Amino acid sequence: MDKPVNNRAWFLVMPVLALVAFSALLPLMTVVNYSLQDTFGGNQFFWAGLEWFEDVVHSDRIRAALGRQVLFSASILAIEIPLGIFIALNMPKKGVWASFCLVVMALPLLIPWNVVGTIWQVFGRVDIGLLGYTLTKLGISYNYVNDPIAAWITIIVMDVWHWTSLVALLCYAGLQSIPDAYYQAAKIDQASRWKVFRYIELPKMQGVLLIAVLLRFMDSFMIYTEPFVLTGGGPGNATTFLSIDLVKMAVGQFDLGPAAAFSLIYFLVILVISFVFYTLMTKEGEAL
Amino acid sequence: MQKSVTIGFGLAGLVWMGFIAWLVMQVPMRDGSRDWFGSMNPGGWMAWTFPAALFFTIIAGLLVLFTWLAIRFPETPRKGVLGINSTRGDRLFISLLGSAFICLIWLGVVGTPVWGALVIALIYAAAVFRWV
Repeated sequence: MDKPVNNRAWFLVMPVLALVAFSALLPLMTVVNYSLQDTFGGNQFFWAGLEWFEDVVHSDRIRAALGRQVLFSASILAIEIPLGIFIALNMPKKGVWASFCLVVMALPLLIPWNVVGTIWQVFGRVDIGLLGYTLTKLGISYNYVNDPIAAWITIIVMDVWHWTSLVALLCYAGLQSIPDAYYQAAKIDQASRWKVFRYIELPKMQGVLLIAVLLRFMDSFMIYTEPFVLTGGGPGNATTFLSIDLVKMAVGQFDLGPAAAFSLIYFLVILVISFVFYTLMTKEGEAL
Repeated sequence: MQKSVTIGFGLAGLVWMGFIAWLVMQVPMRDGSRDWFGSMNPGGWMAWTFPAALFFTIIAGLLVLFTWLAIRFPETPRKGVLGINSTRGDRLFISLLGSAFICLIWLGVVGTPVWGALVIALIYAAAVFRWV
């Protein structure tokens, strides 16, 4: 049966387009306008051309923040993806325990970002926090307030605690969709556990894994609230990621022009990475 | 149907050109000549300047043009050198996104002005439309 095609149906999406225009498009256009100008307040702007973009591209401070951001995203992906797969593989497939595990796994995802930051801020304190106090009593030098390595470890562990569940739940959904016939065939062939994982489970999880990597990469690349609450970007600039640096520039220093240029470049980087992931995902969908 | 669509998009093209003419008229005057980089609405909403307004108008014009092309000359996605299925719209997106990065790299390596980057971006866009 042929599907009826009526291009006038596009008019039905006009309200959504209007909403997107006001919530996303117009602010983005304003940012572009600001990125080409300079202001000293009072809503008076002066033409600056591409000066701010040149400054941002050459800025050592922003390059350092970008380096930290990439390192952070790479670190959490390297931990959360294998850990999420491992948890999903070991979760019960059916029964009461399956439901229980699903609820427990979903709990960290329900906690707001700023609350997660506060929980870990208190948890890691050496005077009253369970983690900080215990480590100090065990003779381990740990203080995320003045030690950059401790601050990094705390932020990474916090992110792993908060978001590994998402990866695990996505992988679990992927695993649940594998028909039993595959496992039965593998059993008949006396395939090892590793081979079952390598040739049945991993290929079947590929689609959801790509989504998990995309979601976690995007979210970690734009992370702001949790490290801001936990360390405020410190000690020094040790945990100042791109978004924290951007907010410092735009709101703290009120450098609207450079901040606008910075945010546009940030946006472009995220756009290109999203496009690559989207292309890979749709390509994968076509192959299936 | 095809004729009415073409007439509709033709009218949109006329509106687009009229809008550009209106933008030119909005450019502020300074010392008897047009100040192309001056504020078009001093103290007003969104801090508009002519170059930024022209940039968005061209993007909007390209979107309308490619919508018309998609309706008037329907196509099936093709697989190019990147190994991905792409339509004209996808190639436009890849061209615009790549051009933005070409300009940024130019700014980082050479600096302003970016006319050289614009030439490279145009060559890049032509290559994308031919081979991607």
